[in-house]
Amino acid sequence: MQRPLSSFAFAPAVKVKLINAGFHTAADLCDLRPLQLSKESGISQQEAVEVLQTVRHDASQGAGAGSRMTALELLGREQAMGAIVTFCSALDSVLGGGMPVGKTSEVCGAPGVGKTQLCIQLAVDVQIPVCFGGLGGQAVYVDTEGSFMVQRVVDVAKAAVEHCSLLADDAEQREALKVFTVEDILSKLYLFRCHDYVELLAETYLLPDFLSQHPEVRLVVIDSIAFPFRHDFEDLSQRTRLLNGLAQQLAQMANQYNVAVVLTNQMTTKVGNGQSKLVPALGESWGHAATQRLILHWEGEQRALASGTCSLLTMLRLTHLRFRQGTLLSASAPKQTTTRLEDIWLKNNIQLF
Amino acid sequence: MNKASSAAMVFLREGLCPGLTDEVVQALRAKNIRTVVDLVSSDVEDLAQKCSVSYKSLLAVRRVLLAQNSAFPVTGADLYEELLSSTAILSTGNASLDKLLDSGLYTGELSELVGGPGTGKTQICLGVAVNISCELKQSVLYIDSTGGLSANRLLQMIKAKISNAEEQMEALRRIQVCPVFDVFSLFECLHHFRSTGHQQFLAGGSSVKAVIVDSVSAVLAHMLGGRQTEGMSLMMQVAGELRTLAKDLNVAVLVTNHVTRDGNGMIKAGLGQSWSHTPRTRVLLQRIERPGSTCSSLRTATLIKSSRQPCYSMEEFDLRYWEQCEEKLHGLQGKRKQVSNSPG
Repeated sequence: MQRPLSSFAFAPAVKVKLINAGFHTAADLCDLRPLQLSKESGISQQEAVEVLQTVRHDASQGAGAGSRMTALELLGREQAMGAIVTFCSALDSVLGGGMPVGKTSEVCGAPGVGKTQLCIQLAVDVQIPVCFGGLGGQAVYVDTEGSFMVQRVVDVAKAAVEHCSLLADDAEQREALKVFTVEDILSKLYLFRCHDYVELLAETYLLPDFLSQHPEVRLVVIDSIAFPFRHDFEDLSQRTRLLNGLAQQLAQMANQYNVAVVLTNQMTTKVGNGQSKLVPALGESWGHAATQRLILHWEGEQRALASGTCSLLTMLRLTHLRFRQGTLLSASAPKQTTTRLEDIWLKNNIQLF
Repeated sequence: MNKASSAAMVFLREGLCPGLTDEVVQALRAKNIRTVVDLVSSDVEDLAQKCSVSYKSLLAVRRVLLAQNSAFPVTGADLYEELLSSTAILSTGNASLDKLLDSGLYTGELSELVGGPGTGKTQICLGVAVNISCELKQSVLYIDSTGGLSANRLLQMIKAKISNAEEQMEALRRIQVCPVFDVFSLFECLHHFRSTGHQQFLAGGSSVKAVIVDSVSAVLAHMLGGRQTEGMSLMMQVAGELRTLAKDLNVAVLVTNHVTRDGNGMIKAGLGQSWSHTPRTRVLLQRIERPGSTCSSLRTATLIKSSRQPCYSMEEFDLRYWEQCEEKLHGLQGKRKQVSNSPG
């Protein structure tokens, strides 16, 4: 049973030339040298070399192909990967331990509700040393809106260092604190600035290389993914295609390099049935993109968070988030039943999808 | 039952069949006989003279090529016998869904779950995988293209069915997981599974009975449309691969797909008309829009394509079904509604 050439990732022009020359399956190519192949099919020698390399690599893979594993092995891997704790236990429990590493998460909310603040918090929290319960990793921050301000990071970093030094009670932790200072935190945060969607797409193509050169990175934040795609886009179907492709690339990156990918999204108003609702922007199909969707909204004077599509099936949970002195310090989960939650949703005219 | 070879333009090559040596191929090529079709449709005696190849050997080659490339008819009775003996029906673990699907997923067929974000497609796929692994003690190949698969969630569901830790690990081992994020990795995964993977399980005492692809639209949707030329062909290749996989290896294939809206704003399944012919059975999942509902995990499943059941029948069920024990659920059994002539 040979694999047809059309199922390989070659350029369409190369595929057409190969098929016209009579090569249909991988077996047809196995015994050829690059020069022979390029002569018979009319492709360039460079392309012939690449084609033969791909085909031979696939043939030698055998039964243990790529990344296939049993669910038991996946469980071990998931437990080893951990999560990014936010220092706020109620939020962590809603998220199932923290922002999951290896998955994509989306944070949606109206302007000013605190999405960027949450992202900055995560970028600092990922760097917390392992002996304090953190991941000891680095962070990549892709800023598309220009809302990143170093001063905010300094505030959060100071609070985190303070919090950790209060917790430190053994020699190992005190040792770790020496390399966990505000300067260290800032030096392990890589900032990329993208001005439009083309730059963002280009950056997403380049990130895998960056991540393989910096294997310590455990968090990639894109703040925000909505901004470059929301204006100046005439062809909406092209936008949907680009976004879907982007989502797949980010999911692959999260899985392959063991990073948590956090995207922020904006809210838009959906008008229908005589009423208007706040829904996450970028369209309905974007709802499939991230594994986990969190919606921050205002609840009177307080902020609240609810989780949408979530892999652990924790349905709507409400927490009141408080940002004090620039850091996420506390949250509480109310004791209401879920019926009341539905009323609150309706009252605030917010729809998850 | 033989399948005809693919591609009309199979070029003559050395080793394509015994008797087709390099000299014969070169001699034929010199007389402009390049493909199998050319050889088979030309006069053998004439050809033998022109190419100075022995008549007998050319005739033998022609016979072998015809045998290799033809499809042989099978009687309906034989086909029916084969179906009866080899088809298995796999329960999904949820009685309401089983009722909708005419007792469950059929091996040899492709079934599809369609729904918007958060309607429960991944949860149902996980539930089906857990059910097949725990209750039926068979293996499952779970191809995940969205990152929605969580082994912790699988363990949660398994724990509700099995209390022994050793058996829980055993059940987890029977679920094979393959993350793919683009269509070419999907081809690679399916190809490797076909050629070697499924035999591994036979040794372990359980065979793969189901292949779940969640979701097929995530890898295909962005390749379609615009000025891209490959998208449609790749989509139909995926369709072909999945269907032949289902038939040849006797597995039930379950895929998930997203929804879009048509011109009138009505919900329809994604990936277009061409893909809609691929699955045998199609189920649409929707959230329940009831203002006073106490449980936000309720969903409706509507059968929108089936060759066995009347369409547009609907069942209600709770997504948390798979993690609760049998006794607790008798109160939550869905109500059956017959909705005829509804646009779905």
